[in-house]
Amino acid sequence: MTRVLGWLAALALLAGLGMAFAVAPREATQGTVQRIMYVHVPSVWVAYCAFVVVFVASIAYLATRAEAADRLAHASAEVGVLFTGLTIATGSIWGKPTWGTWWTWDARLTSVAVLFVMYVGYLLLRGMIDEGERAARYAAVLGVVAALNIPLVHFSVLWWRTLHQPPSLMKPGPSSMPPVIVRALLVNFAAFALLYLYFVAKRVRLLRLEGEAGA
Amino acid sequence: MGDNWGFVLAAYALAAIVLTGYWRHLVRRERELNAPVAGHPPGAPGAPPRQQ
Repeated sequence: MTRVLGWLAALALLAGLGMAFAVAPREATQGTVQRIMYVHVPSVWVAYCAFVVVFVASIAYLATRAEAADRLAHASAEVGVLFTGLTIATGSIWGKPTWGTWWTWDARLTSVAVLFVMYVGYLLLRGMIDEGERAARYAAVLGVVAALNIPLVHFSVLWWRTLHQPPSLMKPGPSSMPPVIVRALLVNFAAFALLYLYFVAKRVRLLRLEGEAGA
Repeated sequence: MGDNWGFVLAAYALAAIVLTGYWRHLVRRERELNAPVAGHPPGAPGAPPRQQ
């Protein structure tokens, strides 16, 4: 099953590349550099989803003490950190030619950086506590608290004046983007979502093996 | 605004390196956990669990 997910993700990523470079048109204002959007935006959407999974799995763990819920939260946090890091790095590369700077402390960039640091902290917390049950419990509490930052990140561009543009798609009302660009974005999001599922399935299995090997 | 292909390629190359690197890390770790420990044949007490 995991292998099938991996192949599906690989095929979807190829389709996503095709959509980003062969189907989607060159954007009129920014030119070719706008194609970074097809990796930057799906990365942050997948990171949002990953941290929502951490939130739900953490609540499930606190309610049931099921190890499977803890493993899911741990795996999803790790993969979420990976995609958040990718979001920040690709955003920085996109920022230099469009804004003239690699980084600025505006509300969106700062709130994403805080989100990244919080989940890196979540992973460090897990690593610092030797006793498995206590590590899982503390991490679950942090997994619930850290999720409060997700709406802050998303709405930061609406609540404060920022250099970062407001959302074009995940907002009330019709999209301000042409349908062909929306389709390319959604194909890339589907590819990244499949990759997320593949990574999480693999990481959950590894966590189970590590638990059995350590027991 | 110019096309800035260098920035586009940098972003996609970075994504490819990061995602492939993480995938390779998972595969390597899985192989380590499935490898039999010296002196403990697979399935014996003390040996790591086998892939199902």
